[in-house]
Amino acid sequence: MAGTCFCFDLDGTVTRAELLPMIASEINLEQEMSLLTRLTMDGLIPFEDSFRLRFAILRSAGLERIRSVVAEVEIDPDIAAFIAANRERCFIVTGNLDVWVEPLMQRLGCRFYTSVSQIGANGEVELKHIMRKNVPGLELKERFDRVVVVGDGYNDLPLFDVADVGVAYNGVHASPDALISVADYVTMNGKGLCRLLSTL
Amino acid sequence: MSIVEHAVVAAAGLGSRLGHGKPKCLVDFGGVSVLAHIMSLLKDVPDVRVVVGFMETAVIAELQRVRPDAIVVRNPSFRTTTTLHSYALGAQHLAGDCLFMDADLLIVPETFQAFLDGCRPGEARLALTASKTKDAVYAEMAGQAVTGFRREDPTAFEWSNISWLPVRYFEDIGMTAVYEHLRRYLPMASGEVVSFEIDTAEDLAQAKDNARLFGLTAT
Repeated sequence: MAGTCFCFDLDGTVTRAELLPMIASEINLEQEMSLLTRLTMDGLIPFEDSFRLRFAILRSAGLERIRSVVAEVEIDPDIAAFIAANRERCFIVTGNLDVWVEPLMQRLGCRFYTSVSQIGANGEVELKHIMRKNVPGLELKERFDRVVVVGDGYNDLPLFDVADVGVAYNGVHASPDALISVADYVTMNGKGLCRLLSTL
Repeated sequence: MSIVEHAVVAAAGLGSRLGHGKPKCLVDFGGVSVLAHIMSLLKDVPDVRVVVGFMETAVIAELQRVRPDAIVVRNPSFRTTTTLHSYALGAQHLAGDCLFMDADLLIVPETFQAFLDGCRPGEARLALTASKTKDAVYAEMAGQAVTGFRREDPTAFEWSNISWLPVRYFEDIGMTAVYEHLRRYLPMASGEVVSFEIDTAEDLAQAKDNARLFGLTAT
């Protein structure tokens, strides 16, 4: 397939709130989660280690409860409309877990690349594989002439590294300087982002 | 009613001749940044792209406050390139005509709006202002048409660093100043605006003396 494809980070880009802190507040572990998020954002803990810890904290909420929180998260209407109009060439690339974000796969209707879970011997959800975002980035580069990526955090750096065009998104919170320093564009709300994407 | 759909605003430079240690677009006029003033002038232009470089985080933060649907275009090589390069980056992926302007301008709003209203598809047009700045690019005229630019021997009007141009004018650029690049497209139609550039301390003092003209309202 030729042409341009668009990869979106999920949390704080397509969704108007970060999903993991939302789940944490459901089980009264908001402070623990916010400390971990801050340490990750400051680059003190690598994303993979941080995600393992966050998974360990949040799994106690139970799958159904997590999914019901995820199902209710607000989605940016402009980004959702852009994805709906370009479903075959839009992709979500998220470090979040497949079984947790499943309700959003149905709402957005495009392909998701996620971290992967498996069901363990005791029937519980286990972490099988953590997403490294350059992997789907490189895979999509094989299929499309040009890969445009949109993200807001450190874990988007590997995706920006392999992209043709990088857009840092400041719509929910300011992107870290490290991400902005490798971006071609910065947009500050869904309207501006989609206006840009429609000209690329 | 203006047909202007796209505007590219160059805000990447160091502003070293003014010497305030911050981008010129963040200079404050009674609680209003120059960037906020420019964005209020462009409020009816649907697609605004601001090219940033020097102290980009501060410029982005101010832009997020005053025009959150603007598109920020990064020019990481702002130290070694000219405004021409910023214009080319800003207009990348656009087609048709676009308004190009610098972000270190204070402009009487009615005159700016009249310039926008006079823009026509495919008709390149330069905004001129009465000569006043220290390092002016003077316009040589034949009637309403600009036929040449010069740096010495002042004429009545200088180029205001505002123009309405086909995007394709920036497809093939060198390491020159914008007016040098535009020479190949002369003669060009013109319109008059009342504007003040703040390149130097003298320019800034002159603009401050005229601050009441710019319709500045804190937001």
